[in-house]
Amino acid sequence: MRTSQLISRNLAYYWRTNLAVVLGVATATAVLAGALLVGNSVRASLRDLVVQRLGQTSVVVTSSNFFREQLANDLKADTQFSKNGFAEVCPLISLEGSVTHEPSKRVASSIRVYGVDDRFWMFHHHQGSAPQNRNVFVSQTLARELGTNIGDSILLQVVKPSEIPLESLHSKKEDLGKTLRLSVAAVLDAEGLGEFAIQPQQTGARAVFISLPLLQRELEETGKANFILVSSTDPGNTHADLITKLVNQQITLTDLGIQLRTLDRDGRSVISLEHESKVLPNSLAQTSENVADKLNIAHSSYLSYLANNITAGTHSIPYSLVTALSDSDFHKLLESKHQTGTSSAGAELPPIILNEWAATDLEAKTGDVLSMDYYFWQEGGRLETRTAKFQMAGILPIQGLAADKNLVPDYPGISGSANLSDWDPPFPVDLQRVRPKDEDYWHQFGTTPKAFLPLSVGQSLWQTRFGKVTSLRFLPENISPGDFETQLKQAVDPLLMGVAVVPVRAQGLQASQGATDFGEYFLYFSFFLVISALLLTTLFFKLGIEQRIQELGTLRAMGFGPSKIRTLFVTEALVLALAGSLLGLAGAVVYGQLMMLGLRTWWVAAVGTTALKLHVSSLSLAVGAVSAIVASLLCVALTLRGLRKQSTRGLLSGSLTSNISVMTASKTSVGIAVSLTLIGLLLLLAAAFHLIGQVGGFFGSGSLLLIAFLFFQSSWLRRRTQNSLTGVGWWPIAKLGFRNTSYRPSRSILCIALIASATFIVVSVDSFRHRDGQAVLDRKSGTGGFPLLAESLQPLVHDPSSREGREALNLVADNPDAPLNEVALSRFRVQPGDDASCLNLYQPRDPKVIAPTDDFLQSNRFAFQNSIPGSAEETANPWLLLNRDLGDGTVPAIADANSLSYVLHLKLGDELTVQHGDRAVRLRIVAALSDSLFQSELLISEKNFVRLFPDQQGYRFFLIDVPNHDRSPDVAAALEDRLADFGFDVQSTSERMASFHRVENTYLSTFQLLGGLGLALGTIGLAAILLRNVLERRRELALMRAVGYNSRHFTLMIVAENALLLFGGVATGAVCALLAIVPVLLTRQGQLANLSLGFMLLAVLVSGLSASILATWVTLRAPLLAALKSE
Amino acid sequence: MGPSGTGKSSLLYIIGALEPPSTGRVTLEGQNPFELNEKQLAEFRNQQIGFVFQDHCLLPQCSVLENVLTPTLVSKDGRDATQRAEELISKVGLSDRTQHRPAELSGGEKQRVSLARALITKPKLLLCDEPTGNLDHQGAEVVASLLLDLHRQQNTILIVVTHSSELASRFPTRYELVDEQLRLRNDGPSS
Repeated sequence: MRTSQLISRNLAYYWRTNLAVVLGVATATAVLAGALLVGNSVRASLRDLVVQRLGQTSVVVTSSNFFREQLANDLKADTQFSKNGFAEVCPLISLEGSVTHEPSKRVASSIRVYGVDDRFWMFHHHQGSAPQNRNVFVSQTLARELGTNIGDSILLQVVKPSEIPLESLHSKKEDLGKTLRLSVAAVLDAEGLGEFAIQPQQTGARAVFISLPLLQRELEETGKANFILVSSTDPGNTHADLITKLVNQQITLTDLGIQLRTLDRDGRSVISLEHESKVLPNSLAQTSENVADKLNIAHSSYLSYLANNITAGTHSIPYSLVTALSDSDFHKLLESKHQTGTSSAGAELPPIILNEWAATDLEAKTGDVLSMDYYFWQEGGRLETRTAKFQMAGILPIQGLAADKNLVPDYPGISGSANLSDWDPPFPVDLQRVRPKDEDYWHQFGTTPKAFLPLSVGQSLWQTRFGKVTSLRFLPENISPGDFETQLKQAVDPLLMGVAVVPVRAQGLQASQGATDFGEYFLYFSFFLVISALLLTTLFFKLGIEQRIQELGTLRAMGFGPSKIRTLFVTEALVLALAGSLLGLAGAVVYGQLMMLGLRTWWVAAVGTTALKLHVSSLSLAVGAVSAIVASLLCVALTLRGLRKQSTRGLLSGSLTSNISVMTASKTSVGIAVSLTLIGLLLLLAAAFHLIGQVGGFFGSGSLLLIAFLFFQSSWLRRRTQNSLTGVGWWPIAKLGFRNTSYRPSRSILCIALIASATFIVVSVDSFRHRDGQAVLDRKSGTGGFPLLAESLQPLVHDPSSREGREALNLVADNPDAPLNEVALSRFRVQPGDDASCLNLYQPRDPKVIAPTDDFLQSNRFAFQNSIPGSAEETANPWLLLNRDLGDGTVPAIADANSLSYVLHLKLGDELTVQHGDRAVRLRIVAALSDSLFQSELLISEKNFVRLFPDQQGYRFFLIDVPNHDRSPDVAAALEDRLADFGFDVQSTSERMASFHRVENTYLSTFQLLGGLGLALGTIGLAAILLRNVLERRRELALMRAVGYNSRHFTLMIVAENALLLFGGVATGAVCALLAIVPVLLTRQGQLANLSLGFMLLAVLVSGLSASILATWVTLRAPLLAALKSE
Repeated sequence: MGPSGTGKSSLLYIIGALEPPSTGRVTLEGQNPFELNEKQLAEFRNQQIGFVFQDHCLLPQCSVLENVLTPTLVSKDGRDATQRAEELISKVGLSDRTQHRPAELSGGEKQRVSLARALITKPKLLLCDEPTGNLDHQGAEVVASLLLDLHRQQNTILIVVTHSSELASRFPTRYELVDEQLRLRNDGPSS
């Protein structure tokens, strides 16, 4: 006979118990592997979505402005393009927009508008063709949202990027978009490219596809695009570096908005450099000057501006153009033969030179003091009138440089006007002040400046963050203008000029790893289910061992050493574990499928998409199976360890005794229990004072307290009772039942542990739920006391708190009772980016960044979870941390604590890098908001924002104060109506909070459900224990029957025993849960849903007691007295 | 021999190295088993001692032959034990039951299997704790005869603990345990 024979005999003979062990392991495997499958499936589904939505796109070239459509073909024509595995290109226009469904008036904002032609379909190897004329295609998701059908009319509003910076004097501030009336020609599903999206997102794509030529025409950008899609022959080829290099080579200065003109000045060629924004970006100016210096080309800088008035004494000239030129050029003018009069050196006021015409009109002479009024667009949305004083330094005849009308950029509404009185600039002008001689000047000299200043003076008055010169001029001696242009093009970095080359496929695939590791989450959720399964496995294995106690003794007596016995049992356990894990793998697929079904249906609020499918990964299955086997074997090893100390004689007699005295065992248990309780309470305190995370505190303290309570109960069960069982009636019989729980204390403790761990989950999870509708108006709540928030499609640059701003924005109320009275808007600048909240399943690479105005920071609203203040003021108002200079190049940022923990995986003090163009912006987290409505973004100061993201202008996010909260709906409607041109979309803050809470609450429901399954397992374990105990004590029960006990007595006794275990488990779990959630309740000022919780626990008790009654009935059906007979 | 509770079984377990003595020493062929480590002690029990218990302690999942062979699984020379096992089974009169399970045997038959199992490793010492305690008269007689025959044939030292004077009377040397003292009784047949 071989050992393997003995093992196979054992496995077959004790098949009932072994089957229970196998099922226990199978359950643990199914849950462990299933949880990993869920994580894998979510990741794979997100990956599938990215790939499906990108179509053939590998890399995207984008620009903040429009470039030639032909650039796409230029890229493809380069030999390096195809040599490096790139295949096709497709230019298109991509803009943000909003759409109104005319029949129903439903509005969808923040949609994507794609101007496409047939190349788009060819690029994606698709049969379709582009919409023509005023027909559009809409994506299925958008069609569903609007309730639109083919043939319906829609109003499409798109944002047209402004060439001139919005927050500068010469830009239009209103009517920035274009509204088109169009007809829906088709609804595109995913197969029809309707789900096309560059940005990874799990929610359906909300897109409108419009004819490219039509959109180009409407935007006055014929032949232009702002996006190029690039495909690759190898999907794995995601290197954008080559495309960047090709873009650098093929892009022209015109594509970058750079305007180079060759002018003739006094017989010499002069190259004038301007930019379409009407001011030269500082980087461009610097680069150009560097190129000129390298080529030994002389250059001059000019800054031109419009003066509302130039006044000398009682004389005044309206609307004059003034040019500041380099200080050396200014002094040359002063000393030139053209100049009339002399300068007065050492003057206190800055000097100014007037041309003859102006000097004559003002009757001014050298040395006179002049004042100049001009508009200045203040950051923050105010148009200011400023005044500067000068001392007249000279008079110039209108010739040479003084006659050069090209010194002034082409300002829209000004430069192209035939008459001065036809001016239509984007700021207020009083054309009544224009005199006939002003018109004469305009007709004769146009935009020729009337006055000149030194550049340093001009810049001190007029420079902005967008630039400090309006043009540069170069005097090439030995180089042709064409060669200079070539040199300049090579030196200019398109990435600094708003062009970006993005490896969208690689980034999308990276992002699909997910911010939320669902595998990890479902492992947490299933944690207690796994523990319950393992406990059940241990329970049944232990039962099996106890069944074979005598066999164990016999083997020992026959000379089987401890290691041999251990090997025998562990080998059996391994076989059972392997069988269980194989069975469990099938269960894992079922469990995973059920969880994915749940995520698509009942728990869809947690993921926001129904596109998740099960993907079976052999790695997940293997890891789950191995983990379950290892965990099961550990449980078995622990069980066997307990048998080492059993005496052989004890085993032979069939009883489990301990060499350790009851007193010692009891003392040890109490000692361990007290230690664990203390550590658990310490963890609780640490969580309450935010020294450790709440989740860690909850799990850590909860687990320790649970184990501690179990040790206390173990000690209690093993105690030697002093009181004897006496008396008559039902109570002493019930007490006999209670006494029976100490028959096999470890079995009873296992049972209690099963019930307690599941109860713990069910009770505690409920405390983490968010209950919406609370304290919206509390300034220290997650809404900051703001009832409404809004986002706009077009940025608002006017300050709505100023009278002029309200007038410009049409927010002036018609009557004193109008809802817009006393409404205050807090404004935020927005750098678009990835959603950093739990609503986004994809890993945010570059989170959205917003910046409030300074008055918002000072208002100290919202509650903070923690911060790293450096002063008493910052402690009192953590918002002030945003203004701190950290000194290491990082920028202070504030984020919501939930986003930090669960999405960005950061903590206070950590650094995060956001990519902007070719520049990495380093943010440091200095404070964490507590459950706020800012979960989708990071916040920085406005000062840092305008420095880091100069191309983002105006304000697009708003928090709205409504003193009379009941009027919030009216205010929302009024704002949306008045600011419809800006695509203003108002939402209640409680709705925003609810959307975040829905996700969290859904996760908690999942957790509770799985905890409930664990509870069900616990009830099965309890019934099994009960049956086992009764079977083992049949002779004892038979004796009691023989002395007069009837079935009702037995039922009472057994039910009482079971009830004690059940109540013990529920009470233990509930008490530990209530203790563990104290920090959470304090932080969230939460409450327990007492009623629903009570019902749940009652259900547990009822089901457990029902199981025990059923088990009792089954057991007592067989005649007991036969057990009294020997053999 | 001795009345219940005098410590007869305890003495047997100490002799059989199943329980350590609180005082004193046990040696078998000069070796004190309690000076050995666990592994050596198990080997000692396997090779030197055979046990027969009152309630036979057969493995219910194994056949008669397998039960007899069980000690050989951990024996150094257990490979060719099957023939010896069959011989022993034959000697105890159960040749036609080798494939039967314990549940299919009577009490006496189970005890005979237990006896064969105890002798499979040719132990020097055969210890029996109330070997006929659970048997009827006939079964007890058979087992008692077998015990004596086999111990003679196998040349083992046989120590039996019993409260049955009938069984005791068949042994040449009898001790009585009274008041923790072991006293020789001379009222039996000579060896």
